[in-house]
Amino acid sequence: MSDTFSYLLMAWLDPGLLGLTALGVIAGIYIGAIPGLSVTMAVSILISFTFSWDINNALALMVGIYVGGVYGGSRTAILLNIPGAPSAVTTAFDGYPLAQKGEAGKAIGLSTVMSVIGGLIGVAVLAATAPHLADLALKFAPRDYFLIAVMGLLLVSSLSGKSLARGIFSVALGATIGLVGMDMVTAQPRLTMGSMELLGGIHYVVVMIGLFGVAEAFYQLHNMAKVPVKQNVDKIVPPLNMVLKFLPLSLRTSIIGVVVGALPGTGGDIASLFAYDHAKRTVKNPEVPFGEGAYEGLVAPETANNAAVGGAYVPMLTLGMPGDAVTAVIIGALVIHGLNPGPMLMIETPYIFWFTVGNLALANIFLLIFGLTGIKLFSKIVEVPKAIMIPLILVLCVVGTYSLNSSMTEVYWMLGFGILGYWLKMFGFQMGPIILGVILGPLLDESYRQAMSSVGDSSTDFLLALVINPLSLVLTSVIVLVLLGNTPLKSWLYSRFKRS
Amino acid sequence: MTKKIERVRAGEKVFDWLLLLFSVGVLYEAYRIDNGVQLNSAGSFPVGLALIMLASSIAIIFSHRRKQRDPQIHSASQEFKVFLHEHFKTHIVVFSIVSMLYLVAIVWTSFYVSTFIFLAAMFIYYRQGKIISSLVIASLAIAVIYVLFTIVFRVYLP
Repeated sequence: MSDTFSYLLMAWLDPGLLGLTALGVIAGIYIGAIPGLSVTMAVSILISFTFSWDINNALALMVGIYVGGVYGGSRTAILLNIPGAPSAVTTAFDGYPLAQKGEAGKAIGLSTVMSVIGGLIGVAVLAATAPHLADLALKFAPRDYFLIAVMGLLLVSSLSGKSLARGIFSVALGATIGLVGMDMVTAQPRLTMGSMELLGGIHYVVVMIGLFGVAEAFYQLHNMAKVPVKQNVDKIVPPLNMVLKFLPLSLRTSIIGVVVGALPGTGGDIASLFAYDHAKRTVKNPEVPFGEGAYEGLVAPETANNAAVGGAYVPMLTLGMPGDAVTAVIIGALVIHGLNPGPMLMIETPYIFWFTVGNLALANIFLLIFGLTGIKLFSKIVEVPKAIMIPLILVLCVVGTYSLNSSMTEVYWMLGFGILGYWLKMFGFQMGPIILGVILGPLLDESYRQAMSSVGDSSTDFLLALVINPLSLVLTSVIVLVLLGNTPLKSWLYSRFKRS
Repeated sequence: MTKKIERVRAGEKVFDWLLLLFSVGVLYEAYRIDNGVQLNSAGSFPVGLALIMLASSIAIIFSHRRKQRDPQIHSASQEFKVFLHEHFKTHIVVFSIVSMLYLVAIVWTSFYVSTFIFLAAMFIYYRQGKIISSLVIASLAIAVIYVLFTIVFRVYLP
């Protein structure tokens, strides 16, 4: 028990870790706020710089950036009607109308407090559930891992974009990229097209930097001329009665955030959409209609997207499956440091789990401090012109990629993935599912082959095992339901149900 | 209530057909791993993924039937012109070419020299002149990169 507490408080008592977390939160707020920069991009680039660091230092900085970044997107959504991050899209629905009414300060203050409440609830749920889930996960068979990964990829395919087919294509493309190289079991080259250089595979960080950094830089070139409308902001600390008034809604949407965040492959953007929808359905008589500056429309998504951070860590630390794109990148960081994300993490290196929990809580405290201060400086920094920002992003991507293996070939690959990502993005494909596919592809392959070996390569026995085992049956049912939910059958059943 | 009409973007159909071709290529490569299809081998999962890509790209192409072309576009040549106008604007082409030249230049000049030239050139171009301030910002950026990556992070630079 004393060990648990010392790990939990490690980041709070070590000045270096304290400083790195604070630095991460500040950087995260600005990265999340500046359109064109994303938390996933920042953490991807950061992996390559921090792989020689002590793991605690690297994680402290990444956790800070993650927590700050999820919140930071709301700032520009409220002030400029430009969500800095996908999870802040719903924040703009009511945040910007509030700013237009001259209530930007109050809106930012309230969103800060609610983000912190959501964040802390997410951390509490992580601490309470993850150890039990990890114990349970030790009993999972390879086919269960296979099914969880399929479920996560299917969920992200169906929820992350307008088209399921595009989502599934993205996930399959990512998984294919993840399989390039030598097969770990038979040493056969796979999808290498005869190239010796590809035998070692394509480093997932190269893919991430290309898709999230270079592709975004090219994409931003389309909006070079867009000039945001400036807002005046002064007092931002919200009155206590205002916080208390929205606390019940905040608690409800925190739970939504944690649950959605914990589904492998989802994340803050989907959580905030669900929470906004919940607020619209449950708040019957808001003072101002939703979409015209209702505080409820600000509180719900802001609480949920920060609660989703704690939720996203649950599958990552217990099953080794990313809750969202950022945790997918953080899994990469843990692997680079020789750690084993998944149920064995709790047994082999429990301190990493408790350190992460304590660090996430600390990052939320810093979020409260930095979120309620420095607004004048913030207003200046987010006005960095794209003419300066876009070339700098490319340079950072080059430095980040080269520092991985000192290879210019990987830099060219990174540029190639950036160009591919740009075209995919232009035609409605999402980058998140591709990255999740890259990370989960090898895991899917491994668990599928283990599952098949365990039934003597018999496809009948494999299919039978999916319905005989209770856990496998639940997971198979969820997969079937998600698939059916995306077919015309859903609307047919809905219309029949409505008529009856 | 009127249903919102989905529009197909200029070049989208061609891109989706290219994805279908790419999927066929991946399927061929995946098939070559085992020179056949087996249930549990190095090639089984890649073949499965390639088939999923193929099926989803066919579904994407079929989904175009629900979408409509921009009413102002009447012919393929007109669509090609819109495509070029949307995606090959001068400032995007310039950025693409200069970026490639920058990556090539890194190999035969030093990282700092090529980065300074790249940043200064892009700043001057995008800020429409403003030479002095662009050079100052580029110099500052180089100084920050040096301090951050060479001194603080101690990473290897090209």
